Amino acid sequence: MSQLLDQEIQDQVQDIFNKQLTESIQVLFFGQEEDCMYCQDTEALLQELADLSDKIELGVYDLAANAEIARQFNVDKAPGFVIAAKNGDQIVDYGIRYAGVPAGHEFSSLIQDLILVSGRDSKLSPETRDILTNLTSPMLLQVFVTPT
Amino acid sequence: MLAHQLALESPWIQAEAVEATEFPELSRRHAVRGVPQTTINDGAGIVVGAVPEENLVAEILRTFNAI
Repeated sequence: MSQLLDQEIQDQVQDIFNKQLTESIQVLFFGQEEDCMYCQDTEALLQELADLSDKIELGVYDLAANAEIARQFNVDKAPGFVIAAKNGDQIVDYGIRYAGVPAGHEFSSLIQDLILVSGRDSKLSPETRDILTNLTSPMLLQVFVTPT
Repeated sequence: MLAHQLALESPWIQAEAVEATEFPELSRRHAVRGVPQTTINDGAGIVVGAVPEENLVAEILRTFNAI
């Protein structure tokens, strides 16, 4: 299969990763056999990114066959993936997920999120961090996006 | 992505970026017309468009306080 990212993009992303990825990242991809137009592309894209940095580890799972792991990481859509931190053998799930292929603008978001998780810091303002300490029950944010 | 920054910061927040055209049923259920659209707790809160950090956090807090 041909590469999804051309050489120029690969070089750019690798340069960014070399400079900005500090701590290890675990990406968990969930696909499914049937009725998933973008599963292969999404898995291939994540693999190409993982190949650009030894800080990124990719685990590939099936939504049905690995239902227990999917539940553990709250993944219920395919293609879906989680960007988690990896501290030694331990995976730390922050609740950062994607559903669907991250193309176009979402590709930039994905690169930014990898850098974010690698840094283990939200980069939010002190005011925002302070307000968030008020939360005491689960909040699910679903951000609907399109590739363009 | 801002929602993912919030998820990283708060152990109570999970954030899922959903490619709207790939999941049309979910998008219809949440009446997605413009993107990005952020729904909170299955529609209890909503923010349409790309908004500054403080606006999204305010809507999260409003939704939380209404629980």
